[in-house]
Amino acid sequence: MSRLPAHPAQRIDRSRPVSFTFAGRSYEGFAGDTVGSALYAAGVRVFSRSFKYHRPRGLLCCRGHCPNCLVNVDAVPNVRACVEPLRDGQRVTPQHAWPSLEHDALAVIDRLHFLFPVGFYYKTFIHPKRLWPTYERVLRACAGLGRITFPGEPAGDYERAHLFADIAVVGGGAAGMAAALEAATAGLGVVLVDDQPELGGRWRFRVTPAADAGHAGDDIVREMAAAVAADGRIRVLDEATAFGLYEDGLLGVLQRNRFVTLRVRQVIVATGALEYPMVFENNDLPGVMLGGAAQRLQGLYGVRPGQGAVVVTNDDRGVEVALELRAAGVVIAALADARAGADSAGIASLHDGGTTIMRGATALAARGSGRVTSVVLGGLDGRVVSEMKCDLVALATGFEPAAGLVGHAGGKLRVGDGGRLTPGALPARVLVAGEVMGLGELDAILASGRLAGAEATLALSGAGSRLSARVSQLRDELARRRSHVEHRPASIAPGRAAKRFVCLCEDVTEKDCQQAVAEGFDHIETLKRYTTVTMGPCQGKMCHRLSIDVCASLTGRTVEETGTTTSRPPAQPVPLGALAARFADPWKLTPMHHQHVEAGAELMDMGAWKRPLAYARPSDRQRAVDDECRAVHEAVGLIDVSTLGKLEIVGRDAAAFLDWLHPNRFSDLGAGRVRYRVMCDDAGIILDDGVVARLDADRFLLTTATGTIDAVEQWFTWWLAGGRRCAHVVNLTGALAAINVAGPRSRELLQGLGDVDVSASALPYLGARTGHMAGVPTTILRIGFVGELGFEIHFPADYGEYLWATLMAAGAPLGVRAFGVEAQRVLRLEKAHVIVAQDTDALTTPFGANLGALVKLDKPDFVGRDVLASVAGRPLTERLVGFELEGTTVPAEGAAVVDNGHAVGRVTSAKWSAWLGRVIGLAWVPVARAHDGATFDVRMNGTVAGARVALRPFYDPDGARLRS
Amino acid sequence: MWQLFRTGKMWHRNGLRDRYDVVIIGGGVHGLATAYYLGQRGVTNVAVLEKSYIGAGASGRNTAIIRSNYRTPEGVAFYDESVKLYEGLSAELGYNVLFSQQGHLTLAHTDSAINGLRVRAEVNQLCGVQSRVIWRDEIQALVPALDCSDRPRYPVLAALYHAPGGIIRHDAVVWGYARGASRAGVDIHPFTEVTGIDVANGAVTGVRTTRGEIKTSIVLNATAGFCSTIAKMVGLRLPITTHPLQAFVTEPLEAFLDKVIVSSNLHVYVSQTDRGECVIGSEIDPYTSYSHRSTLPFLEATAHHTLELFPCLKHVRVLRQWAGICDMTPDYSPIMGGVPGLAGFYLDVGWGTYGFKAGPVSGRRMAELIATGRTPELIEPFSITRFSEGRLVGEKAAAAVSH
Repeated sequence: MSRLPAHPAQRIDRSRPVSFTFAGRSYEGFAGDTVGSALYAAGVRVFSRSFKYHRPRGLLCCRGHCPNCLVNVDAVPNVRACVEPLRDGQRVTPQHAWPSLEHDALAVIDRLHFLFPVGFYYKTFIHPKRLWPTYERVLRACAGLGRITFPGEPAGDYERAHLFADIAVVGGGAAGMAAALEAATAGLGVVLVDDQPELGGRWRFRVTPAADAGHAGDDIVREMAAAVAADGRIRVLDEATAFGLYEDGLLGVLQRNRFVTLRVRQVIVATGALEYPMVFENNDLPGVMLGGAAQRLQGLYGVRPGQGAVVVTNDDRGVEVALELRAAGVVIAALADARAGADSAGIASLHDGGTTIMRGATALAARGSGRVTSVVLGGLDGRVVSEMKCDLVALATGFEPAAGLVGHAGGKLRVGDGGRLTPGALPARVLVAGEVMGLGELDAILASGRLAGAEATLALSGAGSRLSARVSQLRDELARRRSHVEHRPASIAPGRAAKRFVCLCEDVTEKDCQQAVAEGFDHIETLKRYTTVTMGPCQGKMCHRLSIDVCASLTGRTVEETGTTTSRPPAQPVPLGALAARFADPWKLTPMHHQHVEAGAELMDMGAWKRPLAYARPSDRQRAVDDECRAVHEAVGLIDVSTLGKLEIVGRDAAAFLDWLHPNRFSDLGAGRVRYRVMCDDAGIILDDGVVARLDADRFLLTTATGTIDAVEQWFTWWLAGGRRCAHVVNLTGALAAINVAGPRSRELLQGLGDVDVSASALPYLGARTGHMAGVPTTILRIGFVGELGFEIHFPADYGEYLWATLMAAGAPLGVRAFGVEAQRVLRLEKAHVIVAQDTDALTTPFGANLGALVKLDKPDFVGRDVLASVAGRPLTERLVGFELEGTTVPAEGAAVVDNGHAVGRVTSAKWSAWLGRVIGLAWVPVARAHDGATFDVRMNGTVAGARVALRPFYDPDGARLRS
Repeated sequence: MWQLFRTGKMWHRNGLRDRYDVVIIGGGVHGLATAYYLGQRGVTNVAVLEKSYIGAGASGRNTAIIRSNYRTPEGVAFYDESVKLYEGLSAELGYNVLFSQQGHLTLAHTDSAINGLRVRAEVNQLCGVQSRVIWRDEIQALVPALDCSDRPRYPVLAALYHAPGGIIRHDAVVWGYARGASRAGVDIHPFTEVTGIDVANGAVTGVRTTRGEIKTSIVLNATAGFCSTIAKMVGLRLPITTHPLQAFVTEPLEAFLDKVIVSSNLHVYVSQTDRGECVIGSEIDPYTSYSHRSTLPFLEATAHHTLELFPCLKHVRVLRQWAGICDMTPDYSPIMGGVPGLAGFYLDVGWGTYGFKAGPVSGRRMAELIATGRTPELIEPFSITRFSEGRLVGEKAAAAVSH
């Protein structure tokens, strides 16, 4: 089909043809086309099948709002064809139709519609109960729209950007540009967000000057667009949709495939109006189209929307649409205007051109099979006047403010002049301009834009006489130019037919609403939930107002009494991939990581870190773990503990602060000494453990578990907020590397390697020293999580690789061996050392975990003291105990402790210790069983094994080796 | 079939009487279920007061996951009764609540998470609840769309498979109970906000509302989100903090997922409704608030985590996001029962993120308590006195994200 003659607003480049396929057939369009415009130009009228009744649907809004043109494009489902840019080789396929779009088997539901009234599924398939899963499978198979393919990640990528500005103006039409220019003049930084490739909004393709205004809108907006482009303070985001307005001026924007977070101080919403259809019989037939859609088709893409049209309206917009269609060569058979006294130069011109003018009239029904072939017109009382042949019914009957963003910020719509909805009291930081306020004429729209720009400037710059004067001058101007447009909401034609659609996404008819109201769902919110009106892909853009009008008329209430439903983000659907673009979910690697890899380590995730589990392939793991443990027991082992959380606490009140955050005490810890720390929340539950080393009077080095550092740092900073304590918390986790040197020969390895005397007398158990080790500045803590003589060396991360290599080389004659997390877990279990969050849970206080001695209730106050004091006074119900198991089978961690078939506890740790030659573990058991030699049953996958309680550590119970 | 064409009112609209035997505050699933089961016991001079439309609060905002694979024997026994009631609910109410008992998988991505699953599997099995730890091959077979490869930052390692779990049409449950209660003679009063509760001599005497005063000797606080403000009306301070919880839905897709997928490690859960939308949510927001406003950081993080599990959803669009508010107790278990020293005042609160799945059992047991005056054994562990007596019921590990 040939295109219309070129027009300045047209986007298509006729010199660049583009080939694509739809439903397996080849088509051609032009660069600049959308999939929808190219198909429509090629004569395609049916684009999709509807959700419930599988009725044929065609282009309705040409704006990316309605559900009628959802197709699959190159394996991406639910693409809105009417706004999807056309690309060479695109494969477009219809969805929700079988075997084909033209002949859809499930269209039979449309004929059997009386069997599927609203909410039919609530009333059927109840008996017999056993058949429900079968019914459900059928329901599921019939529902849904697009099809996704898996496995594998679909092609196509998204980007992310973060922008900041003083003011965001959303909407690049006349009002938005006026606002942006006004604010920029005052020197503020403005980001103008517009969802089209060119600024100007609907004025750009306004071919004919409107009957009520002397000027053609496109000249004015073209000039403004040039001024915007020339203004360095305005940054334009074109083809960008602001989909959500969140707390504190945060806008979510999707610009093509780029997700932009835009943080601003003021938001001007100039998003225009949403055009919605009207309710009459068969109002969903392809060929029934919104006036704006027809304008866009011919204005932007040079596509004639039809040959013969009937225009239905209730104000001058319809006259404008009719004139433009006629200018494009469409025969306007009739204009049905709901206004009894409608008259204007435009109407006269239409009449002179042979158009039948019907005043006080509207569309009662569309007729045709698969597409419109005629429309029944009649009076507002439902009396049929005539049936006109046509292939296009253009509706210019309903507009409501596109105020979604205002709603996100908490603003509500109220009923204004002539029954229109307009934004009521505006939320903080939010201003509105243009058609979103219900304005219709260009002069008033421009004035409202300038006013919003000036008001935003005033809000940001503080009161100034010049600015205030400008604002009041613009207020006056707007008041002067604002005319009260007569508006008759004739969005529901009289009639009683079954197929009068209120909601196209969900195929909800007026009759459905009627039945719902009769059943008691007569509040707009319950009506919405019962019928699912406004809950489909258009999210109410087509049906929000219609559902309110229908609800009001069915309940006899006013629109105001009926109320509106809440608008929620996103205002336009956003792909998950865009929201997730460049989301940081990093791996953390220690400085020695590649050395572990080269040594053949099997890696595991711990928090965000990768750690060596054991230095062997998984198949050799058990043997390697046994060897690693033996090396630590007999000689010396090294483990990379750089992943430990490390905080430095500095300041006059550092000691008092630590006393406040922990049940145990640090203020009496001597400089150069280390103490175990266990930290509880305000309910006395163990959060984390580690050690605290006092480096000097006001300086502490504190370690946390690998996975908890972020939470602990947050907890510390939270308690520091308020500034009453002189203490500073510095997270040194990444800055320091750490190596634990453990084993009877560890002292031998370190002695003489640097200037720190590590002899038993100079650095006793729980001592801390600073000095150099192989030339590297270090802090050495004498602690031993793994139960042998041990030194934990903290030092700048840059030296990690060097010191690791140096220690491995120096230790070679001593039989040094690197050991991994698994060996460490076995070794610490031999000592019955607890791992917080593995051996403890969200209810564990220090008392149950045998750490009660650390709780210093004689301290004046500390976090969790109240609860711990009350717990201390009560008998425990369960306790964490060590246990041994007969045989070599290791129960899984998490196995249940059972008594007479009831779960009475659980195994938290269990390992095979080659060194001890038996299975050992930790378990929570009832207090009655928590004594040496008591036995209990462990159940795992249905088998039961007998365990024996051992309250003392399995290895070196008196700590002689640890302290040696 | 005849029901299809029935257009009778779902519930009656009666005037507010000045005296009721029982006043239930909160017209959500808990309040209405309690009213329904009271009605079944012949206690029918009952009013349900709701400040908005029925089901407007947490009952209309939750993501409708039903399961009983909790961690403590007390929790498992309690939620198991709820699952069983849900299984028979459509038939009992004569209203299809669309219980899609499709199965529920809690994924583990770390070895410590696997341990947590094992604990639950063992406790569940001992309590007679179907639940077991399964590994990648079986997970992949159950959920073909799930990425079980090593590609994700935290690959899926194992899952707790709980076959009786599933999703339900939450509004239908609310409406079904409302209809049943109304038929039994209970009065349901939407748009009736409670402004005060009268107490004399340690006993409840009446309730003041925006529509007038009511004399009564029994009041049940069955509210969510604002349960502490109602409790404050009788001078009771609850150990509860209120946090927002957010969720979103995608555009409808052809059926591709027929299991509820939860990952505590990734803070995300995904299910597909019978209509085809994916319902996706996360854990509670870390801050306390009564705000129903959605946030963008939630959407970003949850989208990312969803795609870690289901990369096939990359171009699928988010249709709508919303927030609800949740009353959190320190041990992630509810508070149910009477209040010492305050005769006639009952609590059914602190439902955190697990209230909807407990609607039927709480309603039934609270009705039993109110009708008989005796606390049923099943809800005894959840009494308010547990906080002062150190008898917490620790469900955090099983309830934090796995709504």
